Amino acid sequence: MRLLVVEDDADLNRQLVTALGEAGYAVDTAFDGEEGHFLGDTEPYDAVVLDLGLPKLDGLSVLETWRRDGRAMPVLILTARDRWSDKVAGIDAGADDYVAKPFHMEEVLARVRALVRRAAGHASNEITCGLVRLDLRAGRVTHDGNPVKLTSHEYRLLSYLLHHQGKVISRTELTEHLYEQDFDRDSNTVEVFVGRLRKKIGADMIETIRGLGYRLGAPVDE
Amino acid sequence: MVTAWAHPLTSEPVQGGKPAGAGRKPRSLSGRLVVVAAVWSVLALAVAGFILVGLYQAASERAFDAQLDVYVKSILAEMVPDPAAGESAPVREPKGVGEPRFSLPLSGWYWTVAEAANGEKIRFASLSLVGDPLDVEPLGSAENRSSFGTGPGNEEVRVRQQRIGLGSAEFIITVAAETAGFRADVRDFANQVVLTLVVIGAGLVGAVFLQVRVGLRPLVRLRTSLGEVRRGEADEIDENLPVELAPLAVELNALIHSNREIVERSRTHVGNLAHGLKTPLSVISNEARTAAGPFADKVGEQAEIMSTQIQHHLERARMAAQRRVIGVSCEVEPILSRLTRAMSKIYRERDVELEGAMPDGLRFRGEQQDLEELAGNLLDNACKWANSRVVVHVRQLQHGEATRELFELAVEDDGPGLSQEERREAVKRGRRLDETVPGTGLGLSIVADLAGLYGGRLELDRAEIGGLRARLILPSV
Repeated sequence: MRLLVVEDDADLNRQLVTALGEAGYAVDTAFDGEEGHFLGDTEPYDAVVLDLGLPKLDGLSVLETWRRDGRAMPVLILTARDRWSDKVAGIDAGADDYVAKPFHMEEVLARVRALVRRAAGHASNEITCGLVRLDLRAGRVTHDGNPVKLTSHEYRLLSYLLHHQGKVISRTELTEHLYEQDFDRDSNTVEVFVGRLRKKIGADMIETIRGLGYRLGAPVDE
Repeated sequence: MVTAWAHPLTSEPVQGGKPAGAGRKPRSLSGRLVVVAAVWSVLALAVAGFILVGLYQAASERAFDAQLDVYVKSILAEMVPDPAAGESAPVREPKGVGEPRFSLPLSGWYWTVAEAANGEKIRFASLSLVGDPLDVEPLGSAENRSSFGTGPGNEEVRVRQQRIGLGSAEFIITVAAETAGFRADVRDFANQVVLTLVVIGAGLVGAVFLQVRVGLRPLVRLRTSLGEVRRGEADEIDENLPVELAPLAVELNALIHSNREIVERSRTHVGNLAHGLKTPLSVISNEARTAAGPFADKVGEQAEIMSTQIQHHLERARMAAQRRVIGVSCEVEPILSRLTRAMSKIYRERDVELEGAMPDGLRFRGEQQDLEELAGNLLDNACKWANSRVVVHVRQLQHGEATRELFELAVEDDGPGLSQEERREAVKRGRRLDETVPGTGLGLSIVADLAGLYGGRLELDRAEIGGLRARLILPSV
């Protein structure tokens, strides 16, 4: 899962990136409205955390432009202006949720988690596929009830596949949603991670569709 | 600062000018103008009436005197001795004088001829005197005199005396005639004059009244226009007024604009302050939560208190900035639909059904942002706590329930609700500023305060569908 954080305050930006990174997301950052708008317009994010009071281009305009151009990723707005008129204006501009400053990081994490899950069409905080169970709140994966230890990249990969289980995901798409923007990408590493994941949760869970990509699904008994 | 916002907004302008009570000085401009004009007209007309009647009476007297003079001359003519009888012939006694009333006893018409030299001794008298003397003042040395006197029949008479030289002797011819006819004539004239003048006076007062009404109509228009601005139906006063009033309208408009600007500016400042403080506070408290140890705990705790305080004071500052705004109103229905839409987006996972009924065209007398804040808090609470249903009702209150126009916004949910004690606690207004526990955390005390500023109120009770029912009473247009 890959996120974009647009926040002009350097400290708050760092805190958000750290907290979201620890929660298992690949996080890109922007410090002003123009940069944020450009990234959101060109990269496929699973969710965006957007501050409304931004230099160069304010958050509401960024959001409105995205929506006008058909960018539909879930957006969580951060706003110091917490009157209902401001909140409603944000929602009307296309935001999916808001968090008023000052906030607790847990609040942002919970909202982001809900937005990503909702966007993928999952109603609960637990996503299961066969014997594999992902607890989004705790960021824990179990296989047949036994905890599975995953690196952060393995977690992101599995989380993305679980959110989109049953669908064929191309290698490019996986790369785009696994790494931060300036990460040195090498599509071979995706294969490495898939290989490691297969060892941990069962080889038949992730199916390789030649020339197209991968598909996660519960193994069908034959 | 506490008292500055704790008072409800009750400064309703006085409605219209009350009619001035009987016997009291008229308070209205048009009343004054009409009264002054009426007093002046009555005085002028009365004086004109007196002068007219006086002039008429004088003219009548002159005409009467001229008529009497004719008799004097005919008496004189009859007295002239016959020229054939020679120089020393005696004067003759006048006979008919051409007026039969001089012969009728006590007819009111009399004449006498007296000898001027002999103590004004009566020489001849008309038959009508029947031997009585005609009671008149002696002429003395005057040539002639007109006066009023009393005749032998006790009637008022006009007396004309004339000194006449006839040959060597001097006579005083006195003719008297009763004045009844003449008096009646003057009285009739006076009556007609009064009647005419009364009609003219009434016409004048009516004309003045009309003139004042028409002349002061721009003032009424100005008042209507100002009322529209106050009710928020117009942005500014119509400046298309007579030259005397146009500057006033221009100044009023400038006042309205600067008022709006000040509010807008202070609101912007408050918003900027909020943003300026809240971001660093987020950083501090998040930093403190990631670190461990008593220092971090202390910082986190204090940062928490600071953010509560900031929240509280900003809310109060915003409220204090609001009440001087005049002429602002907004339609209720679009705001509620917008809020409802936002709520269903925010709470789309809660599976709560939002339903409502509201009349079209209802307008809230106040800022849109404030109505959004009021309704937003109530709806937010309801959606948060409801099991499955939230019902919103808006209705105009009947006039019988209040002197001003009010409407009710009720939000009900089927959640757990609040106990009576909690309800009382939740709507407590003017919560102390140093309080760090923000009540029930429902934001209802803010709602109650805000409603209070608009002269409205918040009431909480049990909803029919099970949970909490929050009723807001607010001013409408």
